[in-house]
Amino acid sequence: FLQVKGAIDEDVAEADIISTVEFNYTGDLLATGDKGGRVVIFQREQETKSRPLSRGEYNVYSTFQSHEPEFDYLKSLEIEEKINKIRWLPQQNAAHFLLSTNDKTIKLWKISERDKRAEGYNLKDEDGRLREPFRVTELRVPTLKPMDLMVEASPRRTFANAHTYHINSSSVNSDYATYLSADDLRINLWHLEVTNRSFNIVDIKPANMEELTEVITAAEFHPHHCNVFVYSSSKGTIRLCDMRSSALCDQHSKFFEEPEDPSSRSFFSEIISSISDVKFSHSGRYMMTRDYLSVKVWDLNMENRPVETYQVHEYLRSKLCSLYENDCIFDKFECCWNGSDSTIMTGSYNNFFRTFERETHRDITLEASRESSKPRAILKPRKVCTSGKRKKDEISVDSLDFNKKILHTAWHPTENIIAVAATNNLYLFQEKVN
Amino acid sequence: MLGRGLKRKLSDYEENMAGLSSRQLVLNMCLTKLQTYKMLVEPNLHRSVLIANTVRQIQEEMRQESNPIENGLLIVSDDDMSSAISSILKDLDFVEDISPPTCLVPTGDDQPKFPENTGLKLEDDRQDLKGAECVFGSFEISNSTSYLKDLAIDDIFEDIDTSMYDSDFCCPPLMPPRSPSLATEEPLKTFPSCNSSSANNIQICRTDLSELDHIMEILVGS
Repeated sequence: FLQVKGAIDEDVAEADIISTVEFNYTGDLLATGDKGGRVVIFQREQETKSRPLSRGEYNVYSTFQSHEPEFDYLKSLEIEEKINKIRWLPQQNAAHFLLSTNDKTIKLWKISERDKRAEGYNLKDEDGRLREPFRVTELRVPTLKPMDLMVEASPRRTFANAHTYHINSSSVNSDYATYLSADDLRINLWHLEVTNRSFNIVDIKPANMEELTEVITAAEFHPHHCNVFVYSSSKGTIRLCDMRSSALCDQHSKFFEEPEDPSSRSFFSEIISSISDVKFSHSGRYMMTRDYLSVKVWDLNMENRPVETYQVHEYLRSKLCSLYENDCIFDKFECCWNGSDSTIMTGSYNNFFRTFERETHRDITLEASRESSKPRAILKPRKVCTSGKRKKDEISVDSLDFNKKILHTAWHPTENIIAVAATNNLYLFQEKVN
Repeated sequence: MLGRGLKRKLSDYEENMAGLSSRQLVLNMCLTKLQTYKMLVEPNLHRSVLIANTVRQIQEEMRQESNPIENGLLIVSDDDMSSAISSILKDLDFVEDISPPTCLVPTGDDQPKFPENTGLKLEDDRQDLKGAECVFGSFEISNSTSYLKDLAIDDIFEDIDTSMYDSDFCCPPLMPPRSPSLATEEPLKTFPSCNSSSANNIQICRTDLSELDHIMEILVGS
């Protein structure tokens, strides 16, 4: 995978900010959640002989309102409807299932197609009204007639009232029967069929809240071992837990932490070490963590330091004070692997996003913006100028727009197609094959 | 917000940082943020914890250096900051949160709100703050540390007549008279599991001493 070349620009242009992006297991469907509680699912068009150029375009497949704003009367608090995470379930029948979660509640949605309609009922006529009994003179069997494709989304389960704090992660287990949801202080294990009970598997809430110095920032199940999961913390540590060892996994099986580099210590060292995302590789042998300035790849067998570290925007290190002042230092960037785990991707500011090839150590900075992405145009690599002399196409650090941040990105599970969410726009890029 | 128009401001700001005590600058920002969060109905726990840790780190640095000139520049004192952080974290603890009940202190919502507790106005009313914090802030802290863990619920409420308290006090029966300045024998006998080492952390409440005396009398049952 040399370079992202082809560009297919999908512009959602909604007023609401995209808060999560996720491909399903086959990559045919792409779901986005937004701040208004809506989920939009895109489906990849099948390549047809008649339209060879529309190779793999994604078009809107279904849109539905997943979560509504709620009001907690007991605490006098509004519960935001913003979708924090969407996780697909592997497809087991004709319908598609996904878990969408806001701050407090997880919902299982079923998305199904209907392209046939039954006609010829005995007791109802075509409008649905009951037929007069005396008109029913013979028995007939309803037949299925084709109709326009209709995609319906229906909520099948609602998993509520299990989280006091804000949910930041959810992860479907490899057993496809259970999943976890994590908030700032606790992680709960659910069974997909059971909504009235969940098991608390991690609880880091101290007896006295003023002793609190660390919160959970992300959690994920291992892709193959259904008893293993990891969770990251605001102190830059990752704990791997085995559910076989005890019911409450407060004791970790492995503890991943890189010793601090004393030469780069500052007041903001802890804040920038807070991990915003953790993702297992598809192989299950590695995991990747994203903190404010870098992405680290860890070998699960080595706890004392990561095996690879990639600087995403090191030029921001000297600006940490300003970024703290405007709260940008708290931005939570996500990261993702490509299908073969050879390349990783994460976002940055000014609508830049970066990909890093692990073997070749090549990296590239690209921009997701209307100006630079005409449909089917090749993306030009961007560069941020760190020294005094700015070259022609470079952009200086002070000119970066910190309001344009790419927090959510997703990579197709098998092909080189990436989805990048830039505020309220979704960009889809794919590798151009000559 | 950083953008093209603010380019000059950014470089000025960076210069100022080098000139002023950068530590003081960061501290001020932390406290401003904590105060802003405290005003919110639902402060962000993640951010609050990170900022609180940063403040503690700065505190620790200053304590280790114990440079008298540096300390003189401080607008806030250590103890006040600790109390400020503690009260914010306490507020984040929700009442209905069902966790293993190791401590019996009613938390969060019961605490009367003192918006000035974060310490920004301390140059004016330090003493008042200390006093107020002492009664409600520090007591919350001292209540929940080791003291109550070993006591069963029944033991505490058995001989205390709570009918005379009005709802202004958050947890009268659980206020331990542990300020070292009181130095009476009976309270220490009545609460044998009181951890005397924590008593050092209690601020000495000069202004509310008489209130404490009154409460103590009731607790001891005299």
